[in-house]
Amino acid sequence: MPAIAGPSSSPQKHVVGSRSESIGGVRSAEVNTSRKRKLRSDSAAEVSATVVLPVNSISTPMKWKSPRRCAVSIPKTSDEEIKEDSNEKLENPVISVCLEVKSKWNPKDDEQMKAVKEALHVSKAPSTVVCREDEQRRVFEFVKGCMEQKKAGSLYICGCPGTGKSLSMEKVRLQAEEWAKQAGLHCPETVSVNCTSLTKSTDIFSKILGNYESGKKANGSFSPLQQLQRLFSQKQQQSRSKMMLIIADEMDYLITRDRGVLHELFMLTTLPFSRCILIGVANAIDLADRFLPKLKSLNCKPLVVTFRAYSKDQILRILQERLVALPFVAFQSNALEICARKVSAASGDMRKALCVCRSALEILEIEVRGSIDQEPKGPVPECQVVKMDHMIAALSKTFKSPIVDTIQSLPQHQQIIVCSAAKAFRGSKKDRTIAELNKLYLEICKSSMITPAGITEFSNMCTVLNDQGILKLSHARDDKLKRVSLRVDEADITFALKEIRFFRNCLL
Amino acid sequence: MGKEIPAEKSLNLIRGRLCDPSFIFRPLSASSDSNYSKLKFIVSTSITEGCNNSILLLGPRGSGKAAVLDLVVGDLLEQFPDSVSVIRLNGLLHSDDNCAFKEIARQLCMEHHLLFSKMASFDENSHFIIAMLRECGLAHKTIIFVLDEFDMFAQGKQRLLYSLLDAMQSVTSQAVVIGISSRLDADQLLEKRVRSRFSHRKILFLPPSRDELDGLLEHLLSLPADSSFPSGYVSRFNDKIKNITSDRRFKDILKTFFNAHSTVNSFLKFIFCAVSLMNLESGLLSLENFKAALSSMQRQPKLEAVRDCSVLELYLLVCMRRLEVKEQSSYNFISVMKEYKAIHDSFQTSDYYAQNVCIRGFEHLRERQVICYAENRGQSQTGEYRPMKLLISASELHQGMRSHACCPAILLKLLDH
Repeated sequence: MPAIAGPSSSPQKHVVGSRSESIGGVRSAEVNTSRKRKLRSDSAAEVSATVVLPVNSISTPMKWKSPRRCAVSIPKTSDEEIKEDSNEKLENPVISVCLEVKSKWNPKDDEQMKAVKEALHVSKAPSTVVCREDEQRRVFEFVKGCMEQKKAGSLYICGCPGTGKSLSMEKVRLQAEEWAKQAGLHCPETVSVNCTSLTKSTDIFSKILGNYESGKKANGSFSPLQQLQRLFSQKQQQSRSKMMLIIADEMDYLITRDRGVLHELFMLTTLPFSRCILIGVANAIDLADRFLPKLKSLNCKPLVVTFRAYSKDQILRILQERLVALPFVAFQSNALEICARKVSAASGDMRKALCVCRSALEILEIEVRGSIDQEPKGPVPECQVVKMDHMIAALSKTFKSPIVDTIQSLPQHQQIIVCSAAKAFRGSKKDRTIAELNKLYLEICKSSMITPAGITEFSNMCTVLNDQGILKLSHARDDKLKRVSLRVDEADITFALKEIRFFRNCLL
Repeated sequence: MGKEIPAEKSLNLIRGRLCDPSFIFRPLSASSDSNYSKLKFIVSTSITEGCNNSILLLGPRGSGKAAVLDLVVGDLLEQFPDSVSVIRLNGLLHSDDNCAFKEIARQLCMEHHLLFSKMASFDENSHFIIAMLRECGLAHKTIIFVLDEFDMFAQGKQRLLYSLLDAMQSVTSQAVVIGISSRLDADQLLEKRVRSRFSHRKILFLPPSRDELDGLLEHLLSLPADSSFPSGYVSRFNDKIKNITSDRRFKDILKTFFNAHSTVNSFLKFIFCAVSLMNLESGLLSLENFKAALSSMQRQPKLEAVRDCSVLELYLLVCMRRLEVKEQSSYNFISVMKEYKAIHDSFQTSDYYAQNVCIRGFEHLRERQVICYAENRGQSQTGEYRPMKLLISASELHQGMRSHACCPAILLKLLDH
C-alpha cells in the first residue's frame, strides 16, 4: 500500500508512491486554483472534471460542472477529494490502477459508519506505522546488533504521551522475531511489563525471572534480583543462549526514593554474561541523566531515542493512512487539515486527533439522524461527509474549558461573588479570608441597590463555588477565617461576563 | 384508618413525585438536545458498535448528573438486556487503588454469579479484572464503569484511572467509563498520561432555563384526573395552581429565589417546603405557602439571634457598635460599660443594670456567637479585660432591632448617631 503523499501547500510534493510521473507536470499550474475553488465551495455539485488522459479516460456524467480543465486529484489527498452527485462508481482516471475506487459514503448506513469509526479508534493499531520509521529503524538496528553479537544492551525511549512509543515497540518486537527466524538465530524471549501493574517495584525482577526460568522452581533463599544477578554472572550453556528482550513501559513508576530498582535493572545489562536487551519507555526526557548517574560512570549509559511530538503533517498523514483503507470518502480534506493543525499546535498527541475526528463523526451522525426523525422539509443535501464546520464544532468541544459557560449560567449572587473575587485578587495578594471577600461583596451590592445575602448564605455560596473548582477554600475552624483564593483566570471571568454591562463596569 | 381526605392524598402524591428523580428528569430530558439524549447516544453507539469510550459529566452539585445517568442506564438495560453490565465506584469510598480493584472484582463476581474471595490480593484482582474484560469483549458484552466523585480518584498516583483507561485502548475489551464530578476542571487534575488516554468528551450540566422550570413546576404540581380523587377537587386544585403561577408576585418570589440558587435540587427543596405548608383544611396551595418557604430557605441565623435578645443585650450591642463607629478599634467589657454609663447619663434611660447583670448578658451574647473574643491568645487575662468584637454587621443589627418585639425607640436613635 503506497503511502499517501503528505499534505502540502508546497507544490513539490505532488508525486509520490505509485503515481505516474506524467501527472506531476500537468498539475502544478492549475492545482492551486482548483483546490481553492474546492475549499471555498461547500456543495457537492462543483467537482472538477477529469483530465482526458490516455491512461484511463472515462466518460463522466453530465452533472459535473467543470468550467476549466484541471486535474482531478489534488495532490494532498488524491482521490479522497472527489465528491460525486451520483451513486455511480467513478474510476479515477488520473491515478493509476493500483489505487482503489472511492465510492460515495452514506452516513445513514450503519455498517459504513461503524467501519469509519473503527478505522479511527485508538485501539485499532494500523498495519504499518507511518511517521515513526526513523525511530523504529534505530531501535531495530540496536536490537539486531545486540542479537547478532549476543551482547546485552539497554535503550531508553522517551516522549510525550500519544506519540506512538508503545505501538512502535510492539512492531519492533515482531520485526525482531521475524528477523531472528530469517537469520536462523534463536527467537528472543520477550517480557513486556507495564510498570503500573506492579504492586511493588521489585516485582519486576520476579516477572523477568519467571519468564527466564519457566519450569524451574524459584529458589526460596535468594531474592529474584539476586538470582538474576547470579544467573548473569555465570557462563551460560549453549542451549540456554536465548536473548531476552525486556520492554518496561511507564518506567517512571519504578522510581523509588533511593532509585535502587531502576539502577539494578539497568545494571543487569552490564553483568558479564548477561543476555538481556532492556528497552525502557517513559515520558521524561532526562530520566537517564537524572536517575542513572552510576551507569554513566560505568560508561554504559543507555542509548536514548526521543519520540518527538507529531507535527501537523505527520498527524495528517497518519489520519489519511487510516482512512485510505476504506472504500469510501468520509472526511473532507480541509477538515482533516484543520484538525491536524490544531492538535499539533496544542500537544502533538495522536490520541487527541483521533478523538476529535470521532467526535466530528458523531456530530455528523446526529445531524443526519436528526433529519431522519423529522419530516424532510426541503431537499436534503445528498452528499454528507464530515465538513469543516463539523470539525470546528468538535475541536471547540474538545479544547474548550467549561468554565466560561458555567460562569455565565451561575445565579446572580454567585456571579457577584466571582466578580468581587476577581477584583480582590488583582494585585499581588494571593488569598483573603471570607470576611474580607464578604466586605467587597457587600460594597458591590450596595453600589447597585441589590439586597445582599447574609453571611451564612454567603459562605454557603462560596462552598458551592469551591466544589465547582472556581474558588479554593482552605479549612479553618471558624467559617469566617477560611482563606479564599481564585482558581480561574481573571481573563476568563471578564470574557464570560462581558455581555452584562453591570459586571463589565464592575470589573473595570 | 378511615378514608383519607383528598388533601392528604394529594400531598402524599406530590411529595412522592418530588422525591423521585426519574419523574423529575424525564420531562427535562425529553428534547433531543438535552444532556440525556447526548449521553444516551454516546453510550448506545459504544454498545452497538463495540467501541470504547470515556465521558465526563460535569456540573454543580444537585444539577441532576447522577439522576440523568441512572435514567440512561435504566433505559439501556431495558433496551439491551443481556449485553450491558454496570460497575459503580465512588471516589469517597474507593479512591485507594487496592480498595477500588477489590470492589470492581466483587461487583464483577456478583454480576456473573461467581464466588468472590475477600483474601484475593491486588495482583489477583487485577488479573481477574483483565481476564473478565477480555471475556466480556469476546462475548460482546459492554461493561459500563460509573465513577462518582471523579476528582477524588485523581489524587495520588491515579493507578486505577490509568489501568481502566489503558484497558479501553486495547481491542479486546469493550467498556465505557463515565466519570461524574462537580469540579469543572476535573480533567486538568489528571496526569498527562491518563489525560492522553481519556477521550475528551465532557457533558456540562447547566441549570435549566426559566421555561423548562415553569414547565417542570406545572408537571409536578398538577394532579392527574384520576378516579381516586373527587372530581371537583382536582379541577379546583389545578385551577388554583394556574392562578398562583400566573400571579406577578409569584414570579417575583421565583426571581428572588433564582438570584441565589440555580440548581434543580434547590428548586425541588423549595417546592417541597412550600407544598408541606399546604393548608389541609382547604386542600389547596396558596401564595403564602411559597412566601413562607422562601423565607425559611433564606434564613439568617444572626438576625434571629438579635431578635431573640433581651433589651439589656441590645443595649450592649448598640454600645459596642457606637464604640466601633468612634474608631475605637479594640474594646473590652470595661470600655463598653463606660459607654453604657455615658448613654444612661445623657439620656436618662430606665434600663440601667448593675455590672454583674451585664456580665451575664455578655455571656449570653457570646454563647450565641453574636460577639466573640478578638484573639485567643490572651487567655491569662480575665474575661472583662479581653478585647472583643462584634460578629454581626451594622445592617444586620439594624434589621434585627427593627424586627425586635419590644426594642426601645431610643436604641434605634442611638444606633444612627
